Amino acid sequence: MWAFANKVAVAGIGYSALTRRSETPLVQLAKDAIDTALADAGLTRRDLDGIATSPGMPRYGGAKGTVEGVDVVTPWYLGEQLGVQNQIAYTGWTNGMVTQAFIDAAMAVASGVCSHAVVYRALHVPAGSYINFDSAYASGQDQYFAPFGFSVPPAWAATVLRRYFEMFGYSREDMARYIVDNRANTQLNPNGYWLGKTLERDDYLDARMIADPMSILDCDIPVDGCAAILLTSAERARDLRQKPALLSGMAAGTHSPPTGVPMTLEDIWTGCEQVADRIWASSGMAPGDMDNAHLYDGFSPFVFLWLEGLGICKRGEGLAFLRDGHAALGGKLPINTGGGALGEGRLHGMTQMIEAASQVSDRCGERQVPGARRAIATISNGLTKSTAFVFSRDET
Amino acid sequence: MSDTSEKQEAVRPRPFPDDASADYWRAANEGRLAIQRCRQCRHWNHAPSMNCPACGSVDLAFEDVSGEAKLFSWTEIHHSPGPAFADKLPLLVGIVELVEQPHLLLVANLPGSRAEDLRLGMPLQVEFERISEDCALPQFRAVGGQS
Repeated sequence: MWAFANKVAVAGIGYSALTRRSETPLVQLAKDAIDTALADAGLTRRDLDGIATSPGMPRYGGAKGTVEGVDVVTPWYLGEQLGVQNQIAYTGWTNGMVTQAFIDAAMAVASGVCSHAVVYRALHVPAGSYINFDSAYASGQDQYFAPFGFSVPPAWAATVLRRYFEMFGYSREDMARYIVDNRANTQLNPNGYWLGKTLERDDYLDARMIADPMSILDCDIPVDGCAAILLTSAERARDLRQKPALLSGMAAGTHSPPTGVPMTLEDIWTGCEQVADRIWASSGMAPGDMDNAHLYDGFSPFVFLWLEGLGICKRGEGLAFLRDGHAALGGKLPINTGGGALGEGRLHGMTQMIEAASQVSDRCGERQVPGARRAIATISNGLTKSTAFVFSRDET
Repeated sequence: MSDTSEKQEAVRPRPFPDDASADYWRAANEGRLAIQRCRQCRHWNHAPSMNCPACGSVDLAFEDVSGEAKLFSWTEIHHSPGPAFADKLPLLVGIVELVEQPHLLLVANLPGSRAEDLRLGMPLQVEFERISEDCALPQFRAVGGQS
């Protein structure tokens, strides 16, 4: 078990407005989210001495946005903008997902490098199509994909979903229940991008195809916005405004697929299982100890593949679990109770982290899983740079 | 800019060879499918790299393969990946597994196939599609002409 289990806690959370394309510069959205997280904890900017993120803008083809404050917000720039640069003891920046920075920040708090660390993810939706490979040449790994028109991440996920469908006899009909229930969860989440827009089964079945069998409703919605999490020691958190959500374990994955393809079903299983072994060892817990789960849904198939990888379902049975409604609020294991990234908006796993922490501290309002004691969050697709976290109710 | 001028500018992305991949694309341009192979442990490796992912050796060379493959998975793309593909939709993309080694996977289009005829494991054979004077892409066609 992790030596620092339950010694670091989430003490505050904050969101900026989440909109499709904001008139407000990204740095301001980041400041909004961080100020909200600090105030949520009962703190001010003066208390902040740790700051961490993964600032990259993921765009496939076309110009990569790199303008500070507009496309990306680095922790150094943000520190200056907040006027806290002279008090920051720990700065974290990873080029993996932001949750790798969360791991680093938790260790910085646990080891005493800093007292109050904020982990944020600010994402910008550039003008034009998010996916538009308009270069005449493709280099690096793109050279094996882009000449074939395969420079589209939803298409990568589609090859995983297609193989799963063919191996186990499923179809999109089996996915519909989850997508509809997930959108219903979003209606109970004040931060949800799709608030006010419910879905019916036929909306899903008739949805526009991006890369068959992946429709537009199987992809998270890119938003302009920022979410922030305030970390501190469990001891300190008990003196602050909110009930702490204790960090009971964390893990990161290192399994890569063969480089000739972006991802395969088998490699995702192997990767998820590796992360699972590590998170159960880190937390000293087992799948049966979780009473809600927040599984990465940048693309919908990852939800049931995580269920299988984590050992909650056998290989090939995860989609049946979703189809039969077990993931709904009130089901056997409520999943993505706030609508996940499909419903709330694309914040690269912050959604899963915040919802997991919120459930074990009774902060989920109408979507609260009554008495939730343990929540797992998994981020990314199970392959290299994926992470998992267990949060626990503070029962001291 | 009118639609016409956009179409004229649309160039299908060509592979930009690097130290590891130059021989792969050179062979393809000559109508051969050559895959990198480790001379020490005999592991086949794609995409090519500067050392063997199985044993770490830097003693690697390209060898021609049979060009026979099985269909591992596929997708039919409806949202254009870029300007060069706007008039090629829907576009079939396959993940193909070469017969030389399990999990030896390549990305290719599936000329002559229709999505409804595709099955996991169906046999495929390489052919080459010339996209410019100095570049041909390995593509895979269903064996037996089912489509």
